[in-house]
Amino acid sequence: MRGETARQSSHWEETVKKSVVSLTINGAETQMLVAPGATLLEALREGQGLTGTRRGCEQGTCGTCTVLVDGKPMLSCLIPVETIEDARVETIEGVTPAQGLHPIQEAFLDGFATQCGFCTPGMIMATVGLLAVNPNPTREDAVRAISGNVCRCTGYEAIIDAVLDAAARVRTANAQAKAA
Amino acid sequence: MLQAVARPRSLAEAHSILESSDRSAIIAGGTAIMPVLNYGTDEFDNLVSLRGSGISGIDISGARATIGATTTLSEIEAQDELAFLRPALDAIGSPTIRNMATVGGNLFVKQPYGDFAACLIALGAEVTIAGPNGERCEPVEKTVASRPGRGEIVTKLSFALPAAGAFKFWKAARKAFNSAAIVTVAALVEMNGGVVSACRIALGGVANTAIRARSSEKELTGKPLDRITVEAVAKEALKDIAPFDDAYATAWYRARVTPVHVRRALLGA
Repeated sequence: MRGETARQSSHWEETVKKSVVSLTINGAETQMLVAPGATLLEALREGQGLTGTRRGCEQGTCGTCTVLVDGKPMLSCLIPVETIEDARVETIEGVTPAQGLHPIQEAFLDGFATQCGFCTPGMIMATVGLLAVNPNPTREDAVRAISGNVCRCTGYEAIIDAVLDAAARVRTANAQAKAA
Repeated sequence: MLQAVARPRSLAEAHSILESSDRSAIIAGGTAIMPVLNYGTDEFDNLVSLRGSGISGIDISGARATIGATTTLSEIEAQDELAFLRPALDAIGSPTIRNMATVGGNLFVKQPYGDFAACLIALGAEVTIAGPNGERCEPVEKTVASRPGRGEIVTKLSFALPAAGAFKFWKAARKAFNSAAIVTVAALVEMNGGVVSACRIALGGVANTAIRARSSEKELTGKPLDRITVEAVAKEALKDIAPFDDAYATAWYRARVTPVHVRRALLGA
């Protein structure tokens, strides 16, 4: 991408005045030094080493950089990190438990909803965002929720099925947690 | 290369930053300007972020809605009094985009995007624009066509809540969700004694900005909302459009289907 060289070199440009930004990333309060206009995506990947969030189109078109900001799915490539001071950010690393996988991840794995895997983190974060507000989505709700996420492998059907399966698994897990 | 991202905490602060640099661009949700920045641009050196400048929020007072410019499209979707706008909002971008995109920003996105601007034109919304020398108000179609001047900031939009069923929206796109307009039609049709007493019809996707189909409006006013009238009204829209070719459709196709979608918007079929 044409902008790549200019954007990346801005990180190492000593004359540019960097600023300190505070965020809560996956539950941990974090302070980071960022170059002007550095995106949340860059801050996560290059600053924090959280490379689960993918760099795709950088145009807001592909959705693979989707993370939750204050609980809502957003595109980390379109957010200058300085503009969301003190926000809560959740990434795929925060969704993944210390042991094993999250029920949404299990549903994607069992349903063959991931092939090359490049879109998967974004698909899962969009699903996390959907299930947070709608634990019992219809098929149309699932299609709508991932309508900003591009997959060039699966043809989407397996992913839509996995989103619905994930919803059922999360409902079951929540019911078990409540009973326990 | 970007030199700074300013985060004014008030409009006054935003104005003083904009005045001090003619190489500044305003950012709200970022869905329109960040793709430009990420691609690489030398058009601006500074961003002035309106997040945190205190101009978001929805107020419903009596029969009037006032929406702060940095209110996101998702926040409008969540407002029960504005439920009549949900079918239109659902047709704009993805839920993820709508969590970021703002009502003020949507006025200035390039066609064939900006369907919410078409809705606001149909609703006869009034825009409040704050400049270094005070505030002014103007009809939204003027703002969309002419854009605010340097140092000016759109702060809010307001419109009268329409009577039940009076607001109509129809969008022709390549897919059900998250696709730009081939033709977008938004209309406000007020009936009285079996005839259309007043109407505003806005079109997206068929000119350089969202526009009013004034020829159609003229043809519809004073007539019943029946199929024969609407067929004629729909054809009149061709006088107002200036369609373009893009990856979604050709100008020829947009013109060919515009009357069909105007009819569907007005009659639902």
